[in-house]
Amino acid sequence: MKKQVFEGIKIADFSWAVVGPLCSRYLAEHGATVVKIECHKRLDLLRQASPFANNTPTPDSSMFYGKINPDKYCVTIDLQHPDGKKLAWKLIEWSDIVTESFSPGTMKKWGLDYEEVRKIRPDIIYLSTNMQGSGGPHSAYSGLGYNAVNFSGFTEISGWPDRMPAAPHGAYTDLVCPRFAALGILAALDYRRRTGKGQWIEQSQFESSLHFLSAPLMDYQVNGEIVARNGNRLPGAAPHGAFPCKGDDNWIVISVLNNEQWQNFCQAIDNPALSQQKEYATPGDRKINEDELDKLVTAWTLKHTAEAAETIMQRAGVPAQKIFKPQDVYHDRQLKERNYFIPLKHPVMGEQKFEMQSCYILSKTPRRIKRPSPCLGEHNEYVFKELLGMTDEEIAQHIIDGTITTEITGGMKVTL
Amino acid sequence: MAENSKSKSALPPYRVLDLTGGGCMLGGKLLGDLGADVIKVEPPGGSASRIPPYFNNIADPEKSLFWYANNVNKRGITLNIKDRAGSNIFQALVQTADIILESFEPGYMSGLKLGYSDLCKIKPDIIYASISPFGQEGLKAHYQGSELTAWASGGYMYACGNPDRAPVWISFPQAGFFAGAEAAIGVMTAMFHRWNTGEGQHIDISMQECAVSPNMQLLQTWDVARVEFRRTGGCLVIPNTGVRQYIYFRCKDGYINIMLQGGTEPFLTSSGNLVKWMTEEGMAPEWLQNLDWAEDYNAATLKQEIADRVRASVESFTLTKTKNELYIEGSIKKGILLAPVNNMKDISEDIQLEARVYWKEIEHLSLIPLLPIADRLST
Repeated sequence: MKKQVFEGIKIADFSWAVVGPLCSRYLAEHGATVVKIECHKRLDLLRQASPFANNTPTPDSSMFYGKINPDKYCVTIDLQHPDGKKLAWKLIEWSDIVTESFSPGTMKKWGLDYEEVRKIRPDIIYLSTNMQGSGGPHSAYSGLGYNAVNFSGFTEISGWPDRMPAAPHGAYTDLVCPRFAALGILAALDYRRRTGKGQWIEQSQFESSLHFLSAPLMDYQVNGEIVARNGNRLPGAAPHGAFPCKGDDNWIVISVLNNEQWQNFCQAIDNPALSQQKEYATPGDRKINEDELDKLVTAWTLKHTAEAAETIMQRAGVPAQKIFKPQDVYHDRQLKERNYFIPLKHPVMGEQKFEMQSCYILSKTPRRIKRPSPCLGEHNEYVFKELLGMTDEEIAQHIIDGTITTEITGGMKVTL
Repeated sequence: MAENSKSKSALPPYRVLDLTGGGCMLGGKLLGDLGADVIKVEPPGGSASRIPPYFNNIADPEKSLFWYANNVNKRGITLNIKDRAGSNIFQALVQTADIILESFEPGYMSGLKLGYSDLCKIKPDIIYASISPFGQEGLKAHYQGSELTAWASGGYMYACGNPDRAPVWISFPQAGFFAGAEAAIGVMTAMFHRWNTGEGQHIDISMQECAVSPNMQLLQTWDVARVEFRRTGGCLVIPNTGVRQYIYFRCKDGYINIMLQGGTEPFLTSSGNLVKWMTEEGMAPEWLQNLDWAEDYNAATLKQEIADRVRASVESFTLTKTKNELYIEGSIKKGILLAPVNNMKDISEDIQLEARVYWKEIEHLSLIPLLPIADRLST
């Protein structure tokens, strides 16, 4: 097997929940060794989040955690413990890259912030990711991605003009931001290779997210226009939307982007006369009469299953796609051909399908998932002994004094 | 940052030939922000991605704000790669380049003898990224695609919107941006491989996979628990009880999001602080002050009747305040998990972004737009 791209790159991952852990996954999927530092006293939010395998909430049975963390090692250290810091330092000295996603100031409180670390390791690459950045009047803002999706502007422009915003589901920005963090780390690796210097990467998740809204932001700043939510419509294109099909809550999207596709669409619904009607002759005409046009489209889609409608449209050369439900994603043959889901046996959850993080296939060094997500503290022995060279006695002593945690205090709770 | 001299950039001036369109153009921009020498290659007459919104609403390709937003830090040329002379010039450029980014229909570049296998003959270590709706190969590789069809193929769209209407996307298309960002990451991963081995390679980016990625745990909720999530509009629905938990509230000038939940931390403290604030202002009824957020408002035991009463009570409070009052006093000072539902004006006027010098004014011919700059790196 060809050597993976990042084999030999070591990451001490202090981050939790979604953004930081997904960022380190981009490197894990291409061979990096990632050690996630967790604690029994303060479980990763996702270990407390559904769905749980066998419907049994335990710290090791959340497939939300599982989906985010395959191919990582997990150690459990109590950073509040006086000796916890010493173990953290051992991991930092071992690593090339440190990642953390605590509120600004938390790592500093423990003496583990970039300024401290660079004194010992000037070549360290250190990622701090948080809601609004480490400085500025709102740096103390403490929140979740479920909040950030709102102040970052995505909620306001999701849904129908006659309704309150419908909100992109979940913590949308949590899935936008890891990409910027990962790119920052890769650029910093390139810089380190050439200069020998490390650097601090500070991510405000607010700032990263706005890159996905840059044109509407400029539209306000330049023209004073405030973009509003508008269902599935797109300026200059009609029909353009989601239309109901046969069955329970089945939908197809159709997007006619130009006159050629409009001609094709009229052929597809077996109504060539429609293409001659002057109300629908140009994109401008179709936009003016879009409500009426949508009714015509709906009358046709309701007579078909989403799959059949998709086939008819695609054969005619019209962009169309069934709105996939979760089960459709698992069954999709295109994703299967790209090996997007990898079934792996997890010691507690049994066989589960782990999904890829990178949305690309490198022709010579393709993405891989080799191991399922770790159980809590599963790799304490491996990491402390094999990777850090500690003795059995030292490890035993840290377990006894509670620096390495082994038990949950206060019982298992479910958060999300 | 844009004002950094080249020596202060994270990346050396890797030459990138950017032939992408739509949101995919973000990938080249991010590499340019980091220091790469990005050359945007447009067909004569201009790219089809010079789309609205326009500067002063003048429908002119030279005034596309969408174009400017995603092409800062690039140089631009026009070249007809479809004719022989243009193709020759392009191949000469490729010999000076490190990276090619393209988002044509799969097979289009190969048809012009400009595919990866063609170009690696003249530049063996070229890194060549191709973005397409479903990937370069497979059953759907030649599907007609659009931003909307890509979004629909990921499963995420199904979960967004109101239960009584069609699923919705985000009113400003997103799939291309994900794909552009993925291309940039893929390229830098391939660059790492090139240092180690001297080899270039081809990168095949799927917009469908990009549209799968925002799903949080929705796919697993079906696969592991066999629960099919239905879209719920602006509230959370607890899967095992069907109780609607409200997280959006009207206020004086719009909507505020409050993660009004109980059960565990950090929600217990947050919800407790909200009730305390309402109490201070004489707006918390006695039953609300006595509500046990751990026992009576956790996901397992919450009753719809209690959720509805809490919503009405909290909303009567939020209606007396503006988004900004709730934001500053509630979240920054009192640590309540809340966020204003911001529009583009609110974001543009945000004092945190201003304090961190997020916006940078760039002069451009007759336009003086404000362009958002990229993530800062400290060095």
